[in-house]
Amino acid sequence: MFSPFDIPSGAFTLITDELSAPADFLLHGAVNACLKEQATKARVPGLRAKPESGAGPMVLVLSSLVDLAKWKAVASKQNVNLTQHITNGTVKFVDVASTEGSEMVLSEAFNSVSEIIRSSSSEISERLVILDDVSTLEWIGFSPLDIMRFVRALRIACHKANWTFIVRYHVVTPNEVDEQLQQLLGICTYHLDVRPLYSGRSGAVSGEIALHLGAAARQDEVKLIKRSGSLQYRLLDTGPVYFQKGTSEGVL
Amino acid sequence: MSSFKRKDPSKQSNLKSYEGTRVSPASSSTINTSTGISSLDDILGGGLPLSCSLVIAAPDLHSSYGELVQKYWVAEGLACGHRVCVIDDYAEDFLRDLMWYPKSALSVASGATSGGIKEKEGPLGSTFEDEEDEPTPTDRKVKIAWRYEQMKPFQTTVSTPSLTSENYCHVFDLTSRVPTPVVNEKLVSGKLSLLAPGNPNRTGGATMSALRQVEQVLQEQSTVPIRICIPSLGSPATWGDITPSNVLQFLHSLRGLLRKYPHGCASITLAPHLSSDNWSGSGWLQKVGWVTDASLTLAAFSADPALSATFPSHHGIVHITALPSPSTLVAPSDRFSTLRGLASSASGFGGSGENNLAFKCTRKRLIFETLHLDLDGGVSERRTSAPSSTAVELTTATGTSISASAAAKSHDHSQGTCNGHVSSGGPRIDIEFEGPAVPEEKKAVVAGELIAPSPQPETRPKKPKKKVAFFSDRPDVYDF
Repeated sequence: MFSPFDIPSGAFTLITDELSAPADFLLHGAVNACLKEQATKARVPGLRAKPESGAGPMVLVLSSLVDLAKWKAVASKQNVNLTQHITNGTVKFVDVASTEGSEMVLSEAFNSVSEIIRSSSSEISERLVILDDVSTLEWIGFSPLDIMRFVRALRIACHKANWTFIVRYHVVTPNEVDEQLQQLLGICTYHLDVRPLYSGRSGAVSGEIALHLGAAARQDEVKLIKRSGSLQYRLLDTGPVYFQKGTSEGVL
Repeated sequence: MSSFKRKDPSKQSNLKSYEGTRVSPASSSTINTSTGISSLDDILGGGLPLSCSLVIAAPDLHSSYGELVQKYWVAEGLACGHRVCVIDDYAEDFLRDLMWYPKSALSVASGATSGGIKEKEGPLGSTFEDEEDEPTPTDRKVKIAWRYEQMKPFQTTVSTPSLTSENYCHVFDLTSRVPTPVVNEKLVSGKLSLLAPGNPNRTGGATMSALRQVEQVLQEQSTVPIRICIPSLGSPATWGDITPSNVLQFLHSLRGLLRKYPHGCASITLAPHLSSDNWSGSGWLQKVGWVTDASLTLAAFSADPALSATFPSHHGIVHITALPSPSTLVAPSDRFSTLRGLASSASGFGGSGENNLAFKCTRKRLIFETLHLDLDGGVSERRTSAPSSTAVELTTATGTSISASAAAKSHDHSQGTCNGHVSSGGPRIDIEFEGPAVPEEKKAVVAGELIAPSPQPETRPKKPKKKVAFFSDRPDVYDF
C-alpha cells in the first residue's frame, strides 16, 4: 500500500499538508491502488474471483465535502472506474459534516461507520478508511473534543478489524503545532508530511514529502524519510512523479 | 467492413453546453465562465469553472478593488445572458455603478457591422488607444541583434480579445455605466435578482438565511448558468456580527451547494477587515483557501507609500492562495496560465518559479500583470557609485505579506543593514541605518558625497528631483 512508501496495511497514518502543497494525490493514490490491487487479485486464479456482495466496502471515504465528480475524474485518469465500484458497493463515500438540525455532533456518523466496519467480512485483507479533513470539521464548528473522540474511536474500530486508517490534517500555521495536531501526532503510527518548497511554487517540483514515525509505531519496520532528505514530487494529471531531493531523475 | 466506428462528436461529451461559457482546456468535463477580466481569467486557468467558488480578499480599507472585480463579474454575467444573483443589502447602489461596453462599441454595434473592432496593440499589450502613460512607438522597425529577432515583444499581460468575437469575456469600459433600462429589463425578466441576507442581529443568522436563498435560486432551473455574487461578505451593515466560524461554515456549505447544483458558480469578496491574515488568529486566509476553490488576495498599495513608490505603475500586488481544480489533480492554471509563467518553465529547463503578479486600474479597465523589478537604480540613471544591495524582496505564494519597510526586512538580508531604493528621480541612494530615522537633509549630503567624487567642488551636489509624495521617514504627524 502506498508506494513508494512501504507503510504496512492496518496502520494509522496521519497525512498533514498545506494549501500550497495539498495531499489530494496521496488520498486518490491510496484509494486507486487499493482498488487496483483487489482487481489484480481477482484476476489471479486460485484466489476468490470477486468479493461477495455483502462483504462490505473495501474503501470507505469519510469526508466533510463529498466531491464525487473530482474523485471519478481523477480515478479515470489512473484507469480506475470509480462509478462501477460505487455501484458495486466496493467504495463508499460518507459525508460526516451534514448535520441534522442544528446539532453538530459526530456520534451518528461514527455509529454508521462502525456498523459498516463491524459487519464487513474479514476475507478481504486490504481495507481502507480515509477521514478527509479533520481540520475542516473543526473550522466549520464541530468541537475539537468531539473530533478527537471520533478519531480515537474510529482508530480503535479499524485496529480491531485490521483496516488501514488514514487521516488528513491541514496545517495553516507552518511553524506552529496546534493542539489538535499534537494530539493526532500522539496517536498515529506514521506521519506523512507534505510540504511545499520553501522558495515557493516551481514548475518542476510541486512539493516534498517526509515520512516520520508516530508515537504508536514500532521501530525499524519501515524505511523512514527524514525532512532533510525528503522525497520530492511533481504532480501530473496521472499522479505524482517522485524523485530524490536534489536529483532530477525523470523530471527535468 | 471496417470494425472501426467513427465517434459521434455530439454523443461524446455528456455535458450541456451553456451560452457564454467555454470548455476548459485541461479537462472536457469542466466548463469555465469568464470573470469579465481577461487577465484574471488567465490566472484562473481559462476562467472560473462552474461549480466552483472564488474568494477575493482585499485587505486595504481605503480602496475597493475587490468590489470592482465583483462588478466585472456581474457585468459579464449580464452580458453573457447568465442568471445573476447579488447578495447584499445595498445591491441597487452596487448595480448602478456597474461598468458596461465602451461607447464606441455601442455606436458601432448599432450600425450593425459584422466585424469586430480590432484595437491597436501597444507594445506592452495594452489595447486601448488613449491609454495614458503608455509609450507609443514612433518607429517600430528597431534594429536589434539578429538572435533576438524571433522573440516576441515583452508583454506583461494577456491581450484582450476583440470586441465582438465570442460571447466570452466581453470588453468593458470603466468610464461607461450600464444603462438603467438594461438593468431594469434584466430585473423584470428574472435574469438578475437582488437578495438581502436579512437577520443581521442574530449572530450567524445572516449566513444561514443567505444559504437558504442561494439554494432556492440554484434549485429553480438549470438551463442557464447561475452566477452568485457577494460584493462584501462580512460587512457589518449587511451581515452583522460575523464570527470566523460563521464565515468558514458559510463558504464550506456554499461550496457543497455548488457541487450539488453544478450549473452555478460564486464569486465573493471579503470585507477589508476580514481579509487580513490574522483576523482570527494566524492562518485565516489559508483556512479560507481550503474551504473554497479559488482564493486571491489583492493587496493594494494605498496604505504603504514605500511600495507605491517602488512600483509606480501598479496599484497593488496579487497573492494567489488557491486555484480551482474541480476535476484534475493539477490546477489547469498551472498548465495554461501565461501570466503565472509556470507552464513555459516546466518542460525541461529546471523549472523556474512563477511570476509575481500585480494589478493596476487604469482609467478604462482593471488589468492584472506580471510584476518585474526595474533595473537597480532605475533605467534612466547612470551609475556612478557602487550599486546598492538587493532591492525590495518579494515573496510569492507562501502567503507572507510584502512589506518594503526596510527595518523589518533588512534583518533578513545577509548583507546587513543596507537596503537599496529604486527611485525615478535624480541620482539618490537611500541608506537606512538600524538606529533612529536619519533626517532627509543628512541623507542627501551623504548621497552627494558619494556621487560626486570628481573635481569641481564648487558645484553643489545635484538636488534630488522634487518628488511629490509622502515620505515615510519624515517625522510622522501622528507620532505623539
